[in-house]
Amino acid sequence: MIAPVLYLIRKEFLQIFRDHAMRGIIFVVPLIQLMIFSYAVTTDLKDIRIAILDNDKTIASRNLISALVESDYFKLVSTAPNPKHLRHNLLTSDADVTLWIPLGFSEDLATGNGAQVALNVDGSNSSIALRALGYTEAVVRLQAMKSLESFIQASITIPSNQTPSTNWDLQDEDQIATSPRIVPQIMNPRLIEPVMRFFYNPTLESRYYMIPGILVLLITLISAFLTGMAVVKEKELGTLEQLMVSPLTPAQLIAGKTIPFVVLAYFELAVATTFAILWFKLPLVGSIPLLALCALVYLLVTLGVGLLVSTISNTQQQAMFTVWFFLIFGILMSGFFFPIENMPVIIQKITVINPLRYFIEIIRGIFLRGATFDDVLPNLLPMLVIGLVIFSAAIMRFRKRTK
Amino acid sequence: MFQTGKTKVALLLEALEKSYGKIKALHHLSLSVEPGQIVGLIGPDGSGKTTAMRIATGLLTPDNGSVRILDIDPFIRPRQAKELIGYMPQRFSLYPDLTVSENLRFFSDLYLVTKHDRIERQERLMKFSRLGPFTNRRASKLSGGMKQKLALMCALIHTPSLLILDEPTTGVDPVSRQEFWNILRELAEQGIGILVSTPYMDEASLCDNILMMYEGRIIGTGKPEDITTLFPDKLLEIRDIDITEIKRKLQMKYPTLSVQRFGDKLHIPYSDEEQFETIKSAVPDRTQVNPIKPGIEDTFVALMSKPNITADYISEESG
Repeated sequence: MIAPVLYLIRKEFLQIFRDHAMRGIIFVVPLIQLMIFSYAVTTDLKDIRIAILDNDKTIASRNLISALVESDYFKLVSTAPNPKHLRHNLLTSDADVTLWIPLGFSEDLATGNGAQVALNVDGSNSSIALRALGYTEAVVRLQAMKSLESFIQASITIPSNQTPSTNWDLQDEDQIATSPRIVPQIMNPRLIEPVMRFFYNPTLESRYYMIPGILVLLITLISAFLTGMAVVKEKELGTLEQLMVSPLTPAQLIAGKTIPFVVLAYFELAVATTFAILWFKLPLVGSIPLLALCALVYLLVTLGVGLLVSTISNTQQQAMFTVWFFLIFGILMSGFFFPIENMPVIIQKITVINPLRYFIEIIRGIFLRGATFDDVLPNLLPMLVIGLVIFSAAIMRFRKRTK
Repeated sequence: MFQTGKTKVALLLEALEKSYGKIKALHHLSLSVEPGQIVGLIGPDGSGKTTAMRIATGLLTPDNGSVRILDIDPFIRPRQAKELIGYMPQRFSLYPDLTVSENLRFFSDLYLVTKHDRIERQERLMKFSRLGPFTNRRASKLSGGMKQKLALMCALIHTPSLLILDEPTTGVDPVSRQEFWNILRELAEQGIGILVSTPYMDEASLCDNILMMYEGRIIGTGKPEDITTLFPDKLLEIRDIDITEIKRKLQMKYPTLSVQRFGDKLHIPYSDEEQFETIKSAVPDRTQVNPIKPGIEDTFVALMSKPNITADYISEESG
């Protein structure tokens, strides 16, 4: 008995396309979300504000400064006259990082015993601080290496040893302070040089990592939210009773209420994927049919959640907040923002029942690594099990209510 | 064995029991609706009218008792039973964002009415209900009376044999109510059995049979012209300009007296002439005191306070 299901679907689409707000939610909001998320939610650090005090004023120190300033990562905000000023820059948040090149830097470097610079980082935003520290350290190290090479090449006579007597303390214990000690290999500083290459996302664009996750969020919102709301809306209107006194079977009713949102979710996925590929140049390495198949399994979960929530909610607000409540946990524990490996073991164990975790892993795999069916299977199977459990529970509760 | 004559009973409810937790909503409720008959359920809110109707439509399962729609048990063959029923719930329950014709089309589709039949019936129903000029208007933009007519049309589009209408005219203006009842009468003449609940006593008199419900029981039943004979006593009516004061005085003097106020009148049951005279002497001379024929509402109130004189409708009918 397919006919009544088709009539239900037609009615559902008629209502969806007649509703201004709904049209916006379906066609405009996803693209806006994709744009904003993709540009804003980035873990790449650019324009780290740096304040520099150069007491050395030699070719080596100037080279170091220009290496920092000319990279995309740093923006010179102040050249400080004294250490106090550097500290003030950090305190007032005018700078994220301060660098102090002491007098004798160049000479120390040339001795081959290592030269010291003072690097102070504002640690109040720990994730920015750690990354800024990493970048700065890398640039300083590289530049020191280059300077040393030029010293060696110029065969400058190594001056007598001097222990640096500089006081490194900026009088602030709260700050992360580090002083990389540059100890070069005198004979051949490039004896061992690792050649590194990142696979699947060679330039480590955080966008490539985020966009697949955003696609998951989009189809989760469309399918779980809208299904739940659509069913509860009929409850609010009393039309659900009208459907229940008609000869529709519960199976037909469930099909008629979920299939429109499967269609919409696929539409959404297709539009967002196309947009991501054309606009953000996101690579889609894997197979589209596999992506569609995995999405179907995932929809089993979200539609199940939507239906289940609709059986326990009496108003659309209740349904929305209930879905939202679970969605927040789902997102935070999915590895979308924070890697699951970094979570406490007990939380890691809880994420085993988080369907978002699997789907994000699958969709990143298909997009970036070209994962095959065999590759995604370890994530697909648990997702299927979760989907079957939730969907059957939803159907059972739904049938009980319609009985 | 409960059939009268050769035609099947449109609806037969037998010995229904239903509780919500500790609250007993239906006590051994039985009723029947013949084809072509309008049966009115009257009673205050919470008397069990809606529960009885929801059980008849299959929306609720009774704790005990049986339901038959044209001899079909809806809990064994739900599809067949549901196709025979047209149901209008108490609250307007159509899609407000769909137009009149889209609503009609959707409900005809659900019951798999063929396109040919649908077009023919829609035309007939539109003429019948005079909703014709509003075919393309959204349901949300209809007046209260038009909404109820549309809901009735949607309940009729699959030509049911039994109509179950839960307070269809509540909140509808008097003209539309009159129109609505004219439509119901025409439908009954076409042979449809109609079970309708109403809080309006004047509408009860338009039914073929009245069932008075109170606290989950049927406390009285009969044709509108006969049901007042169930009134146990005689009745007098008192008219006065200061009716509130008179009511207060009478109740202070005779606390056992049942004094009901109807607008600017009081209705008081009495047993004999002696009591009539006593009451008359208790009110001022200017006050009019006359014996009257009890109405449906008087009867209801009288039966309500003595719930044990339940007339068993089924056993009377089946003999």
